Parts: sequence; structure tokens; C-alpha cells
Amino acid sequence: MAVALEGVTERRGGRGWTLVAFYPILALFLLVFVAYPMLDLFARAITVDGKPSFSVFARLLTDKFIWQVLWNTLLLGCTVAALGTILATIYAYAITRVAIFGKGVWHFFAVLPTISPPILMALGLILLYGRRGLVTNGLLGIQSTALYGFWGLVFAQLISYFPFAYLMMLHLFRGLDASIEEVAGTMGANAWRVFTTVTLPLLVPGLAGSALLMFGYSFADLGNPLLLGGDFPVMSSQIYLAIIGMYDVPQGAALSIILLVPAVLMFVAHKHLSARTAFATVGAKASSRHRMIRHRPAQIAALVFVGGITLLIFLQYATVFAGATTQLFGINYTLTIKHFSDVLTKSRHVLVDTLMLGVIASAVAVVVGLLLAYFVARTRMPGRNALDFLANLPLAIPGTVIGLSFALAFNHFPLMLTGTAAVIIVAFVVRSLPYGIRSGVAALDQLHRSLDEASTTMGSTSGQTLWRILVPLVRPALLAGMIFSFTRSVTTLSAVIFIVSPHWSLVTPTILSQMDRGDVGQAAALSVLVVLVVLLVIHGVPRLFGRDWREAQ
Amino acid sequence: MTKNTIKTASAKALTVLGLNKSFHLTTGRSVPAVRDFNLNLAPGELVTLLGPSGCGKTTVLRALAGLEELDEGEILLDGYSIANLPPHRRRMGFVFQNYALFPHMTVLENVAYSLRIRRSPDAEVRAKVASALLAVGLENLGPRLPGQLSGGQQQRVAVARALVMKPDLLLFDEPLSSLDTKLRVQVRAELRRLQKSLGTTTLYVTHDQDEAMSLSDRIAVMRAGKVEQVGTPEEIYARPASLFVAEFVGKVNALPGRVEGSSNGRSTVEILGHRIQVPTDRIPAAQVLVLVRPEAVRLCPPSADRPAGRVEETEYLGDRIEYRIRVGTTLIVAAQSALGGASRVAESDTVGLEFVEDAIHLLPFVGPA
Repeated sequence: MAVALEGVTERRGGRGWTLVAFYPILALFLLVFVAYPMLDLFARAITVDGKPSFSVFARLLTDKFIWQVLWNTLLLGCTVAALGTILATIYAYAITRVAIFGKGVWHFFAVLPTISPPILMALGLILLYGRRGLVTNGLLGIQSTALYGFWGLVFAQLISYFPFAYLMMLHLFRGLDASIEEVAGTMGANAWRVFTTVTLPLLVPGLAGSALLMFGYSFADLGNPLLLGGDFPVMSSQIYLAIIGMYDVPQGAALSIILLVPAVLMFVAHKHLSARTAFATVGAKASSRHRMIRHRPAQIAALVFVGGITLLIFLQYATVFAGATTQLFGINYTLTIKHFSDVLTKSRHVLVDTLMLGVIASAVAVVVGLLLAYFVARTRMPGRNALDFLANLPLAIPGTVIGLSFALAFNHFPLMLTGTAAVIIVAFVVRSLPYGIRSGVAALDQLHRSLDEASTTMGSTSGQTLWRILVPLVRPALLAGMIFSFTRSVTTLSAVIFIVSPHWSLVTPTILSQMDRGDVGQAAALSVLVVLVVLLVIHGVPRLFGRDWREAQ
Repeated sequence: MTKNTIKTASAKALTVLGLNKSFHLTTGRSVPAVRDFNLNLAPGELVTLLGPSGCGKTTVLRALAGLEELDEGEILLDGYSIANLPPHRRRMGFVFQNYALFPHMTVLENVAYSLRIRRSPDAEVRAKVASALLAVGLENLGPRLPGQLSGGQQQRVAVARALVMKPDLLLFDEPLSSLDTKLRVQVRAELRRLQKSLGTTTLYVTHDQDEAMSLSDRIAVMRAGKVEQVGTPEEIYARPASLFVAEFVGKVNALPGRVEGSSNGRSTVEILGHRIQVPTDRIPAAQVLVLVRPEAVRLCPPSADRPAGRVEETEYLGDRIEYRIRVGTTLIVAAQSALGGASRVAESDTVGLEFVEDAIHLLPFVGPA
């Protein structure tokens, strides 16, 4: 027995050496770019005039206003999480269980916001329902600021982030064993009772996961609170104001730390939850061909629901497109290509830079993610669990906090990166790493261990194994991970707003400043271009690399 | 499983008429799954749908439960049509291949589900669930979750859950296929006893001919969406209606032959250059296919009045030995008990062949099969 075990470990150690060389580099990368900025941020929050002091925290925690802001943030997060999960569940149920036409269209519009900058949603909402909005002012003739504040934010965040919850629920509804619902039917339960007694209870872990996801997105959102917050301040916009408006670094840092507490709690809760997620189906072979409900009233209700939400989302995009193609939306509806030509001349470098940095960062994130997944899942390297935790941490940290910590930590000795492309790429990579690892794990799941053992017994080194055998097999999963990471990087605002520089600017902060300036046309044109480019990448790249990627998603 | 207190109100007769069902593929093509399917079940009868995978047997079962919409056809239960009822308005006890237990409910809750849905009073639910669990021998596992049970126990929970609602019809979809061989043999005997004592009319789908033979009052062999033959297990095995049926339920030698004449219920048939006497009440055609099961082929010393051949291969299978014997261009399979060993024949021996004439079955010759 002992001999056999020894043999196994020996072989493992013996053949891994080509890849093991990467391990310290990865560890160093994570320590420098995940752990260090967070520690630096924490240090700044407890340093006043060069001496350690908790006075900033003390001042903030006795400030009623800050408590109000924290309460606002939590209230907004909970509302969006609850409503978003309900919407997503109904939407996914309608798509997966009810026989309705046009599912391709409903699905397309429901996921369109996942590939758009959330700031586009705020723009569309302002154009439609703002003080001079097409619907509120133009059609209804009212001059109202009702959009700005709590309910406007709820609306904006729902429409921006419910699609993520929808995708999650869609996956769960599709994955549920069809025979479990069918057997309930044969035992006398109608569709509604099947849903309430079987489907819903089985989805509880998923529902909680979706709620936490929505809560996290609401927490991290910066664009919507800045543009629509009005007199409803939340933490992310307060951090922005502390840094950009008042230049009060300790206060911004301390606020970030305060925001981190509930965010990390959420993260831990989510990890616990997903560890015991889903009563894995009992017994063999699950069937996934679900019966569609053909009950007329249910079909009509489902159509009205998905149609209504699709209409709201469609209106957003149509409005932004109209904003980009008319002189001045709301006032002068003369058609023009001026905004597009302006953007393609004046802001072309912004667009090109964003795409380039996004591509580089997503490639790095996927490669690093695959290596990490390999080390965590297939080796016994010391400290691999700590690295796994570090790499997944950015999932918990709101983008604003990551961005701020990067801006502060890499603005002084020993690592002076401010103003460079590197700091942006690294921020993208760090934010994408959790997804990189996930796609890496999915990719490795495609492979039986026996496969790489077979290759090794035939005499190849682990590097050759990775390149010749593993990479071709895992390409679909990696491509999916890369596309996801690219989309996320290109559309984020919160993570980059503190680290862009005149030399390296990005699309989303540019849209924000264009809107600040009142340049609605250009902001809209740039938004449209980003969405088009991302759509092109999502549908074009896999076509270039083969079609099998869809299975990996 | 012997003691049980569940009684079905009354066994129902099932009539399925002209069932047709096609599946529409995303490519726009449609594939017929069940074609002109007819079947009658007497009250209390257990009938097996036997066939290779993809022959449409599961589709028939699902259509009976209302889980597939019919293109055409009528389903009558004691003369009343149920073809247009949704699944929850039929009383079908369906046991799925993967059992489809509710993983979030205990065994008790699983079995009680159909009663709770019908809002039966608590006391009644408790009594019925207890007796259903007793019937399958799981009375002590009520508080467990399905994930904590073995495959065999899960299978029994699925059966108890189907029984407790006193279904008009019990439908089994390959319920034993994920059990190991030994357990399968034991559970199928228990199922048979349980079904007999309850007297519930039962339709059972399987691709395993042993299971079908041991369980069924009658077997319906299906092929490509159609019923090929319906009959008792013995009829199916000894007098198959087609070569397909003959081959599906066991090994068979199919030899082309010519009928030379008949008298007194016996026909003279020429095969392999020799004449044999076959008992037949009717002669299907002049050109026939003579079906001989391997166990009906006897090996004896070669002689001029019977076919002879060379043993090409022997296969020891524990309970029997199979010989493959070359006669001219034909390969004949013969099987003999492996015990006793006195009459063992070795490879490349030359042996004479004798057919047990009562066990021979004739089919019309339909060209090379």
C-alpha cells in the first residue's frame, strides 16, 4: 500500500516540473495584485497624517448620514435582489416550460443587457422617463424628477442586472430532471401545484444564489447611482464623491472598507450555499426534455409577461439608438450621422484602446485561470487553496473598491503603474480571474484524468500534454470564458473610473463624461458602438474558432 | 412484500386503438415513433412491451400517462376515453426508469404526495402510506431522504408511491434497468407477486427478454413503432411470428427449407440436404424458414441419414456449452448442458446433428434476412 502511494506521488512530482515553474509566478501575481492593494487600502483607512489612527472610521461611524447611505445601499440591494429574482424566475419559467412563440426573440432581449454597459441603461431611462423624457414629458406632458431616486435606481438596476439572474435560472430550470415534474403530474398535481410543490422547492438554493448575485451587482453599481441617484446616495457614489469631489483619500478608503464588510459576508454566504446547492438528482439518468404547458390562459400570461419586459428593454435600446442618430433627442429629431462620425474621429482611440486592452486582459485571465484551475484541481501544491481563495476574492469586492485600491496602491513606490495600460489590464484580469478559473475548471472537467495520464505514459512532458491533448479539448470552455471576461471588462465602469488616464481612457468613463457635458448624442453613439462591437465579438469569434463553443456555455 | 393491505378498488380493462405519434425534429423533419399501435389489456393483466431501444415502447407508455400528446388514437379505460385528459386527471401509477423521487422530500412525503395533492385527511394519509411502505418492505425508512437510500430501496419507494394512489393502471418504464443483475432478478419476482396480489392492470416496458418472460401474462414485441407480435411468453419464444421476434427473445438457427409434402399434421421439410418431419397444423408456404433454438439441436455420432458438420468453436458458459458447427456454408448453433461432461465434443470434431422435431417452428421464407 505504502509503496503504491509512494509511486503515485513520485510520478506526480516527476512529470509536473515544466508547469510547476509557473506556480510561484502565479502566487506572486495574486499577492501583488489582489492581496497588496486591499492591504494598502486598509492601511490608508487607518492612517491619518502618517500615524495609525481609527479616527476616520470613528468619524464616519458616528455620522448619521453615513448610516443613512449604508441603509440606502442595503435597501436598494435587497429590493433589487428580491424583485430581480422574481422577474428572472417567471421569465425563465415562461421560456423553459410554457409553449409560446418567439422564444428566440424574448431570450435575445433578455440577455442583451448582460453585454451592454449598465450606463447605457441609465442613458436610455433618462431619455425616456427623465425630466424631458420622451414618455414622461413628450407623451404624458409631465415635468417630473420621479426617475431620480430610489425607484428610478430600482428600475435601472433591475433592467441592467435581472438578465444575469435570468440566465442563472434558465440554466437551473433546464437542468431540472424532467421526470420529477412529470411524475408529480401523474400523481394528480396540475402545472401550478407541480411548480409550487416540486419545481420551486428544488430551486430554492438557486433562487438564493440568484438573489445574492443581484444584491452583489446592485452593491457594486456606480453608473446608475451617479446618473440617477438624485437625493438617494449609496455607498459607491459616496466613495466616488469622496475621491473625485473632495479628494479625501482616507475617507474614500474607509468607506470602501465599510462597503466591503457586507459584500464579503454575501460572498461567504454564497460559497456556503453553492457548496450544498441542489439536491443532486437521485438515481440514474436524468431526462431533460421538459413538457411544455399548453394551457391557453397560462400561454397568454407568459406571452404578456415576457413581451412586456422585452418591450421595456427594446425601448431602451431603440431610444439610445435614436439618441445617437438624431440631432438632440427630445428637442431636435432631425436625422444625422454627426454623432457617429464625431465618435469615430474624436473618440476612436478610446474605442480601440478599450477593445485592445479587453482582448489582452481576457486572454491573460483565461490562461492564468486555467493554470490556477490545474494547480488547484490536479496537483497538491502547497498553498493552492489560499491561492484559490485569493483569486476568487474579486468576486466579492465591488468594482469601485477594486478600482480605488488599484489607483492608490500603484501610485507610489514600489510599483508605480498609474497612467499606464498595465494597471488597466491588471484590473481587468483580476476582476475576470474568478470567471477564468471557473472556465478553467469547466475545461478540465472535459478531460478525464486518464486522458492526461495516458498521454504521460506515452512519454510526453506535462507541458506537451497540456498543449497537445488538453488545449484542443478545452478550447470551447476557454473561449466561452474569454468572451465573458472580455464583455465584462469592456462594459465595466466602476472598476476603471479611478484608474483611467488621459493617455489610456476607456469607453465607459468617456460615456459618463460625455453625459456630464450634456453630449447625449455622442454618449448614445458610443454606447451603440460598444454594444455592436461586443455582439460582433460574441457571435463572430466563435465562428472563427469553430462552433463547438456553444456546448461549453 | 408478501403481506399487504392495499386493495385496488377494481381492476380496469385497457384498450388502445390506432395510436400514432411522430416527433418533430428541429430540422423540420418528423420521425414516426409509434405507428398504428393496438393493444388490449384484460383487467388485472400484466403485459410487457418488449423491444430494442428506440422502438417506441416508452412513447406508448408516456402517451398512456398523458405525458405525450397523441397525433391520433384512442385510449379507453373500461370503455371510457381518457385520451384527452391531462396527466393529473388520469389515475396512472407511473414508475420511471430513474425513479424520479422528489429529492427534497422524505420517503414518507414522497409516498404521501398523491394523497396530499388530493387533500386526503391526515389519518387516512398516514394509514395508506404506512401500508404502501409495508407492502414494499420499507416500513422503517420513512424519515429518510431518497439520497440516503440504495438503488433498490429507491426503486421500492417509487413503486410504493405509485401504488398508494390506487391507480387504474400501473405503468413501469424499465424500472429495473439501473439495478445490478442479482437484485434485478429478486425485485422482479417481488414486483410480480405484488402486482398479482393487488390485481392492478399493468403495462411494463423493458428491453430485457428475461424480465419480460418471467413477469408477463402476455408480451407485446415492438419493432420500429409497431407491434410485431402479442402473445404469452411461451408463444413468443416457441412460435415467434417473425424472425425479428425469434432473434430478439433468444438465439435461433434460421435455415431455409422447402416443404415437400404433408399428412396427418406432419410435414416433410427438406433442410441441409436432409428430410425432417415437422409437426404443423398449417404450412405457411412452400419455401420456409425453419427456426430451431440451439437447445433443440442435439449432437450425435455422424451418420448418413442426418446432417453432419465440423465443430468450429465451442464456448463454455457455465450452465451450458455452445457449439458452432459448420454444415456446408451454414453455421449452426447448438447448446448442451455443461454438466456431466461425458458427451463433450471438442473443436474440429465432426458431429451429426439431430433436431428436436417438436421444437421446430416454420416461417414463410422472405428472402435472405
